[in-house]
Amino acid sequence: MLYILRRVAFYLAAFFVAVTLNFFIPRIMPGDPSARIIASFQGRLNEAQVEAIRASYGTTGSLWEQYVGYVGQVLRMDFGISTVQFPEPTSSLLFYGATWTLVLVGIAITLAFLIGTMMGIHAAWNRGGFFDSVFTPINVMLNAFTPAVVALLLFYAFSLQLQWFPLGRAHSTGLMPGWNLQFVGNVLYHATLPVLSILIVSFGGWHLGMRNVMINLLNEDFVILARAKGLSDRRVRYRYVARNAILPQITSLALSVGFLLGGALVTEQVFNYPGLGKFTVTAIESRDYSFIQAQLLLLTMSVLVANFLSDIANVILDPRLRKG
Amino acid sequence: MDNKKMKTLKSLAMATVGVAALALSAPAMAQDDRVVLTLHPIDSDALIENFNPNNPTGPQQMVRDFAYEPLWIDNIWNPEEDFPALATSFEIAEDLMSITYTLREGVKWNDGEDFNADDVVFTFEYAKANVDYPMGIDVYVEETDTGTVVSAEKIDDYTVKFNLKHPDALARYALGGIYPLPEHIWAEIEDPKNFANIDPVATGPWTEIENFSRSSVELCRNETSRYNEENAIDCLRFLQLNGNEQIIAAMSAGEVDWLGTGLTDPEITFTPQSEFNNYWLPAGGDVNLQINTTKAPFNDLEFRKALSVAIDRDTLVDISTFGLTTHTRFPVGTGEAYATWLDEAALEPYTWLMQYDPDRAMELLDAAGFVDADGDGFRDNPDGTPIAFEINIPNGWTDWINSGQTISENLQDVGVNAVVRTMDQGAWNDKARTGDFDSYIMWTNGGPTPYNTYNPMFNPRNMEAGRVDYQAMHQMRLPEVEEALQAFRSTADRDAQQEQMTAIHIAVAENLPIIGLFANPTWYEYSTRNFEGWVTEENPYVRPVVFEGTRERVIHALSLKPISR
Repeated sequence: MLYILRRVAFYLAAFFVAVTLNFFIPRIMPGDPSARIIASFQGRLNEAQVEAIRASYGTTGSLWEQYVGYVGQVLRMDFGISTVQFPEPTSSLLFYGATWTLVLVGIAITLAFLIGTMMGIHAAWNRGGFFDSVFTPINVMLNAFTPAVVALLLFYAFSLQLQWFPLGRAHSTGLMPGWNLQFVGNVLYHATLPVLSILIVSFGGWHLGMRNVMINLLNEDFVILARAKGLSDRRVRYRYVARNAILPQITSLALSVGFLLGGALVTEQVFNYPGLGKFTVTAIESRDYSFIQAQLLLLTMSVLVANFLSDIANVILDPRLRKG
Repeated sequence: MDNKKMKTLKSLAMATVGVAALALSAPAMAQDDRVVLTLHPIDSDALIENFNPNNPTGPQQMVRDFAYEPLWIDNIWNPEEDFPALATSFEIAEDLMSITYTLREGVKWNDGEDFNADDVVFTFEYAKANVDYPMGIDVYVEETDTGTVVSAEKIDDYTVKFNLKHPDALARYALGGIYPLPEHIWAEIEDPKNFANIDPVATGPWTEIENFSRSSVELCRNETSRYNEENAIDCLRFLQLNGNEQIIAAMSAGEVDWLGTGLTDPEITFTPQSEFNNYWLPAGGDVNLQINTTKAPFNDLEFRKALSVAIDRDTLVDISTFGLTTHTRFPVGTGEAYATWLDEAALEPYTWLMQYDPDRAMELLDAAGFVDADGDGFRDNPDGTPIAFEINIPNGWTDWINSGQTISENLQDVGVNAVVRTMDQGAWNDKARTGDFDSYIMWTNGGPTPYNTYNPMFNPRNMEAGRVDYQAMHQMRLPEVEEALQAFRSTADRDAQQEQMTAIHIAVAENLPIIGLFANPTWYEYSTRNFEGWVTEENPYVRPVVFEGTRERVIHALSLKPISR
């Protein structure tokens, strides 16, 4: 219990620091939100109009006043209006982007975790065997690829040349979103290549992580004992070794899930996928303070929450922590 | 070999392909018999439900010209064949102090209300009252003594007179471009810039918003439009698309018909992708090197001359910009965009300034005292201070970054230490305004006459630190140009205007406040998959640009006819 309380105190402090940084980081960058709006008129504005636009879209008041206002907004969960796409509320754009990021990165992480972990278990169990000696080096190599290269290759080969898959977007144009087979199928079809591009570079990590921990555990006394007792291979492999080896994997999974809401920047750009990463790039380019702040906050919160959940999961799964 | 594991993998792979195949057959798109033209005037990450005609960050690209009509559509390429829109004629007063428009009778807003002079007067008053909602009207402001249009006066239900502050022969171009708003709707809108205008009330050929989603939206036929008899297109479709590769790919796949997207190597990256892909890139505005003449060494005319002849423009055109840009002959800053205004005989003596001659550059620099004083291999100012300057370009603007690198190499060849500095666009925007920079590569603004380029370039108001305009970054005041511009707009006589323009050209060539580089292409790509009647090099009936700011684009759209297959 003390352990959990200590963690909660830590998370609250971290949250407050993050909120403060979220406020200052965009403001340290040169450029202000009205610059893009004014620039889009290409000099057709007179002085009075430039001043009026700057007053209404630029930020007014001293930095301290702005900060106090911002903290108040955060506490009310009011993220203001996007200056890039006014008068759209930031929260509505954020929600839209987050939905597609969850679909894209959510599927990719789940598949990567499942495939990678399973492959890791098999590689470790049959250490030095055919599967291990072929797939472990391959996965090490794939893991070293950057998503940019993979995404571009997939896009070029399967979208542009062979035209097996769409050129991008989350679903076909003119198709109205809804919970029906047609729409869900269409979304999955559109997500295939983007998901693959993340999957290919990420399951190797899960494979290696699982394999390493498993191999360490294989020499532990309790495993030798279990074998000596004559338990089945299957039982030892999954109930004894894999169950213990999965603990660090869960911690990493929590981290990935936390970072999930950062979006998959490169993949989203290549496949024109309307996720958070894409929105964030545009928001940063045009100094859309409210969007940058809200997105950073969302990311911070999801990382903190995911970590907190993994702490709890560890306490449940690992009896040693309960004493601490 | 472990057969079981291989099987697991195999079935997994099969399952993935299976899902994909299933999905492939699933989206049987609703086929209807509407004729839909898909055009792409603006990139976005997600479409926003906002159709406010004066919101520059997106909506006006979709609704101006198509839903909202201006008073007059100037045909910039063919001035004699212009198009009356909501006005049927106009008259400029003898003293150039007012312009009177006769409005079209019988036009209805799509909600059934009549369009008349009250709407036009209201539009002017509304622009005056809402300064932070720019409607493109240059309203005169008494406090600051800026602007041109003093008032809009209703003569009768279908006649409106605009009164001007100064005699102005050019005001008709701006006034003709006013997009009148329906008074019965907008009079109640208190905060127009934040008004989303979800149901546009307008008079144009397409006014009805349909099928809005974050990824596409359609603007469909206005049943009360006077164009309906000739208009073959039921709906205009706008897609959420971003990034040149995505956009080109979408056209190749038949998803888009009309684009204005940057291309690199079109014969390799564009035309082979689809038999229907076509492009034409007529010369557009000039791209110039804007140098800060308030600083050494740019404040020295001899240095500026040397700079100009040290630049290898053939390389810029053929290699740095992928062969898509074109040369400009005279150092006047506007290139060939206004070819009819060039007095070739008067400008002949300055053509050498646009020709690559590194030896001459070195002679000029030596003669003016720009020599290597400290022995570091680079030339220094005559007073011994070193020369080292930056050419600022935004990240990712490939053709300009290439150009900057070529210029930097050219200058280093003649001993001038210049380097390219790339930065993110926000920082680039911001730095420009301060007036504290060395040099920028910069586009030029255009318009119906070269006045529209030179006025922002030489307006002293655009040179004040903190509000330096992109066009006037050189910050060099040329009184003879200022006077000639004033005289230019004070007469409607073409010959008198020509005389002033030649004076401006000579002053610019003589002083080199900016260094001309090349003329940008006008980006225009179209697909002949679904429509015919496109503007082509052989039939350039209007400017083919898809972006807002080209009022003719509605004429282009109305000229397209579906190809039946």
